[in-house]
Amino acid sequence: MSCSFTEKISSLIDGELSQAEARDVERHVLSCSECEQVRADFLNLRSQIAGYESSLEPTVQNRALKKILAPESRPTRLQWAFSTPAIAFATLLIVGAIIGLLFYQSKRASESKTTAQVQTPAPVPSASVEKEKPPAPEASPQLSPENQQPTPKKNEKETNNPRREPSTPVKRPLVREPKPGEQFASVPERVRSADAETMTAMHFEKSETLLLAFKNVRLDEPGAAAEVSHERKRAKQLVFQNMMLRREADAAGDVQISSLLENLEPILIDIANLPEQPDPDAIRVIRERVERKNIVALLRVNSTALARALD
Amino acid sequence: MASEDDEFTMLFQDFYPSLCRFLECLLGGRAPLAQDLAQESFLQLHRTAWGTLPVGEARFWLYRVARNMAINEFRKSNTRYRLFDRVVEAMRPRARNPEQEYETQERKVLVLEMLQSLPEDQRTALLLREQEQLSYKEIGQVLNVSESKVKVDIFRARASLRERWNKRAKTAGASIG
Repeated sequence: MSCSFTEKISSLIDGELSQAEARDVERHVLSCSECEQVRADFLNLRSQIAGYESSLEPTVQNRALKKILAPESRPTRLQWAFSTPAIAFATLLIVGAIIGLLFYQSKRASESKTTAQVQTPAPVPSASVEKEKPPAPEASPQLSPENQQPTPKKNEKETNNPRREPSTPVKRPLVREPKPGEQFASVPERVRSADAETMTAMHFEKSETLLLAFKNVRLDEPGAAAEVSHERKRAKQLVFQNMMLRREADAAGDVQISSLLENLEPILIDIANLPEQPDPDAIRVIRERVERKNIVALLRVNSTALARALD
Repeated sequence: MASEDDEFTMLFQDFYPSLCRFLECLLGGRAPLAQDLAQESFLQLHRTAWGTLPVGEARFWLYRVARNMAINEFRKSNTRYRLFDRVVEAMRPRARNPEQEYETQERKVLVLEMLQSLPEDQRTALLLREQEQLSYKEIGQVLNVSESKVKVDIFRARASLRERWNKRAKTAGASIG
């Protein structure tokens, strides 16, 4: 990745650029084939990661909720049932007991030595008494890292700051409105017939070719109207197919394909409805919309994905 | 009390599956462990922080705690996908047809392998972005790092995965796009 814009492409597809920046980067991408490829690859990676299906089963989820809400619920193997202060207190008690026991034992040992000394007058160096003492306990046992609760610093602050409104639900919308340039990840594929998928892949390819041709129409030249008339005819043919495929994708619950077709449809309709002698501004408006919605890249990514799935 | 439980249930139903998926990807596909940790995170939330967290913070709190738990697991098991987990995973009943199941499994393994090649902080940031659709600011909040670090981490993760993917595709004679 030699182009200096590549890092910005990452922010662009995340919708993290300002409108002006997003426009600049979008414009650059159109003229830089490397960046265009990077964007398509990043989007493809996104759909791969977002399409990862968890192995969770509904029964597991229900069981987990019941466990959490049950009043007598006990933590599982991964966590202590006690709070950190309780563990610290228990540790102190154990350490104290061990020290006390050792002290008691050493005291008893020295007492028995004294008794022995009285009974047998043989000289015993006092150092040997010390040697016989059991070694002092090592550093007090501490909690192993795995038993420590990973409590983030921020959380402590939050716990001391109870400012939650009692009846306001914490629920957040799962899907936000997209920011400029942002493209949400695709949803995992649904079951659709191979025929429908082939048709959709072909439709995407045709639409992509049409939009690219439409993008390249030279507005300042006298033959522009004739060029557009060809695109208009193609768009008319594709509109009906688009409608049919969208309905099919909706019925199959394929949100990703359906939403792409939904975005494509008004553009195809607008091209199809262009007059015989179209106003260059009208063409520019449609082109800008195509660019803004990043339809061409999405069509390419999805047609390739579908084709690969069919292979 | 009942309404608090209702709210909690709502939050649980919304985010438990995605927390499981996030942990599963973070832990290299160890689904049973991921489900345990997700349950633990919710349990902690219910016991300690529920009712005291500001509005909208619960989700970030959950991801933060779950990630810390996952890091503890890495330390314990050195991130190896243990044989036992593999056996449990392999013996799980499958509902879909075998061909489709095989494809899904193959894709899952590929995604997991690629994610495992990333450093933990890059992997977490990328997962929170791609799967949970959090903004850089929100990811920074979860990971307790600056937005600029999140931005760089996500870019590096993508660049590294792209390179890996393309290399793989070259050897397999296919292309990514």
